[in-house]
Amino acid sequence: MEKEELKQELLKQLSDNVISFEEDKVVEAAKKVVEEGFNAYDAIMNGLAAGMVIVGELYDKHEYFVPELLMCADALYAGLDILKPHIKPEDLGESAKGQVVIGTVQGDVHDIGKNIIKMMFEVAGFTVHDLGRDVPLEKFVEEQMRTDSDIVALSAMMTTTMMGMKKVVEMIKERNPNVAIMLGGAPVTKDVTELFGADGYAKSAGNAVQEAIKMIGRLREMQTK
Amino acid sequence: MADTDKAKIIFQPSGRRGEVEKGVTIIEASRQLGVDIESLCGEKKVCGKCTIRIEEGFFEKYSIQSSKKHGGEWLVEEEKFINKEQREAGYRLGCCARVEGDLLVFVPEESRAGKQVVSKAARDINIEWNPAVEYYYVEVSEPTIQEPTGDLERILEALNQKYGLKNLDIDYLTLQDLSNQLRKGKWRVTVAIWMDKEILQVLPGKTKDYYGIAVDVGTTTVAAYLCNIATMEVVDTVSMMNPQCKYGEDVMSRITYHMMHQDGLAKMSADIVMGLNSLVKQACEATHPPKKVKKNGSDKEETITPEQDIHYLCLDPTDIIDMTIVGNTAMHHILLKLNPEYVGMAPFPPAVHKSMDIKARDLDIQINKSVYVHILPNEAGFVGADNVGVLIAEEPYKKDEMQLIIDIGTNGELVLGNKKKLISSSCATGPALEGAQLTFGMRAAPGAIERIKIDPDSHEVDYKVIGRDTWKTYSKSEEMQTKGICGSGILDLFAELYRSGVILKSGRFNPNQKNSRFRKNSDNNQPEFVIAWANETTIGKDIVITQKDVRQIQLAKGALYCGCKLMMRRLGIDKVEKVKVAGAFGTHVDREKALIMGLFPDCEIEKIISIGNAAGDGARAALLNREKREEANWVSRNVEYIELTVEKDFQQQFVEAMQIPHMKDQFDHLKGIVPDEILNQ
Repeated sequence: MEKEELKQELLKQLSDNVISFEEDKVVEAAKKVVEEGFNAYDAIMNGLAAGMVIVGELYDKHEYFVPELLMCADALYAGLDILKPHIKPEDLGESAKGQVVIGTVQGDVHDIGKNIIKMMFEVAGFTVHDLGRDVPLEKFVEEQMRTDSDIVALSAMMTTTMMGMKKVVEMIKERNPNVAIMLGGAPVTKDVTELFGADGYAKSAGNAVQEAIKMIGRLREMQTK
Repeated sequence: MADTDKAKIIFQPSGRRGEVEKGVTIIEASRQLGVDIESLCGEKKVCGKCTIRIEEGFFEKYSIQSSKKHGGEWLVEEEKFINKEQREAGYRLGCCARVEGDLLVFVPEESRAGKQVVSKAARDINIEWNPAVEYYYVEVSEPTIQEPTGDLERILEALNQKYGLKNLDIDYLTLQDLSNQLRKGKWRVTVAIWMDKEILQVLPGKTKDYYGIAVDVGTTTVAAYLCNIATMEVVDTVSMMNPQCKYGEDVMSRITYHMMHQDGLAKMSADIVMGLNSLVKQACEATHPPKKVKKNGSDKEETITPEQDIHYLCLDPTDIIDMTIVGNTAMHHILLKLNPEYVGMAPFPPAVHKSMDIKARDLDIQINKSVYVHILPNEAGFVGADNVGVLIAEEPYKKDEMQLIIDIGTNGELVLGNKKKLISSSCATGPALEGAQLTFGMRAAPGAIERIKIDPDSHEVDYKVIGRDTWKTYSKSEEMQTKGICGSGILDLFAELYRSGVILKSGRFNPNQKNSRFRKNSDNNQPEFVIAWANETTIGKDIVITQKDVRQIQLAKGALYCGCKLMMRRLGIDKVEKVKVAGAFGTHVDREKALIMGLFPDCEIEKIISIGNAAGDGARAALLNREKREEANWVSRNVEYIELTVEKDFQQQFVEAMQIPHMKDQFDHLKGIVPDEILNQ
């Protein structure tokens, strides 16, 4: 029982210190998790990721902003670095084994939003293939084929470059209709997503975070069931 | 017989009416009928500025049956801006509601694109007189049986003899009029010659004064300076909203409009040409004696006789003999009908860098038909002829001191350097600093809050609106007639929110608030701060700044600050000797507030200078001095353009710069201006 209390305490510390972006304290707690031999995957999902869900909520309410969000992410990554090597393969259920191709489309060099989403996918246990920014449209198709990824996430910050997303959706769907395509970025709307024939949409960098966090939330639910 | 594919639509209070194709959005219908409804986001259904109300019932006066049902399907996007009650009352977003039957549409005051108060007055800058168009007076001998040489050849010979001008050409339309003018002037004429190359105009007799116009085509505002080229004086400054604003507030939404509509480019080009023509006309009309004026509030219009000692120039658009235009690269391309699509995508190449001389008649610009319009050169996709204008007005490339020039607009442009090296860059500030995109942002029109003070002890707010000199403290609530907050007010507000401790360094509202002005919005649970209570406004609701608004401003100011810092790093300097702030609202930037909010890195307040509409000054310089045109071409290719977003640590720098005034950088010059406990958070 005492052991269980300590575990809950550590999970809370991981979560709280991600929220208050205290990297050192996250590291401390993560090391303790490993020392005590607690389940690393559990600590990631119910500690680090749980904290990030709350960060996402604060961001959505505009109480947290990009700087705080990224500092929280730094704290989360610091914990992740320690815990990741200790994940047991059997802990990774089917749900967390996805692969994602992500990038900012051709003509667009903005990638802050994309980087945030990338982190979210990584935390959720996805294998992320980051193509970077100003990515030639064909490259998304090639990379999806090469890696056989389940999800392709496209980002654009400008209305002008957003138009390129349509072409990517067409090219991918033509070859592999079972790939889920997610669009994000400031100019993207629900209409655009439907018009372009994509599967999912995140309204802005903020909502994309929210979306990704929801995904993590769903993963956690599935895992606890 | 009624056409069933069309529906009647009437807009109130303007009373404009007409028939439109069924299925178009209300915004599109308003555009067709010449009604200006705000559309800041370019109809992407995200700004909520185009809220309108559909009236219900049969209206005898117009004999139409208007119904909410005629407004098409309700869209989820509208829920964000219109609550249940408003929806019941017929409120819709103009970009979502579609005309599916006859409609009577009321455009609320906030949604109307109001008349903007612009202060783009001409600044006194030193320009050397060497205009592209010069007037030459010649007398020629009458032809005789013995010497029957042609009219043109006689003039050419005289110009050669008297002024040494050789190999002159003549505009074809000018030639058509030549013989008449020569005889009208009894063989004495004044000849306008462009760049010592081409005759543009022949006037009978001797004329000394002649006129030109210099124009700055901004994304939001167009300003023009009517100048007497002979004396270099500015006769008048006129300005207007860019008529393209109806297609969206920023450059990107204009480019997208072109990409989405086959005739988009032609439409937008025609709009700005029409705008330029009306500006020219407006400037010329102001040189005539006033015809009719209203006397002391009486309804009767009376003609007054001009006072004896006032000399009216009585100019006509055809008297305009030279024209220069600056504008950002997208405005430049749209005006000239050059495809702007590629300017909107990395690596953002413009269709052309070099300056252009195009006959006014080819552009449908209604000034003298034979003259050229000189379009200044572009530096890069996001640093256009407007920035070249700033450069030739300020001439940082001739100075030893290290200058940082910031041109704040919908797109921020930065120049840093001295005579050894000059670099430029741009950053997407968005329209937040101009008041757009914020919950209660508006243009600089009457009723817009332009100055704000917040008491650090009580968090009480005092403010002043455009069109009223008395501050709130000394006025009755109902006298304020407040409508929103404009660009210069935003700067004041942001700096004051921080200085008084209402918001923290991070931009988050301080949890320890001292006043009921801070609250959580009951609809969306978001924190907000009341600037003006509903009874002080004409819109019937509290004017607030929300946490989201603060974030928008942080993004914009962060982009500028980060740009300045990365450019300074590129040149290996940690401080500049002068910061010059230009832009539409550059004329009334409070330098102290600009430093407090962290628009740029710390520097002595005395070194910050507001230079107003420097782009327009550059256009004027090019009008009055042809060497400036050469200089512009040279400088446009010798400023090194830097794409900041690809810098390795751009993200980190941008993020740090979003805090107020900055996450890490010291602001020694704010000591004593901002309380220590605020500054050292």
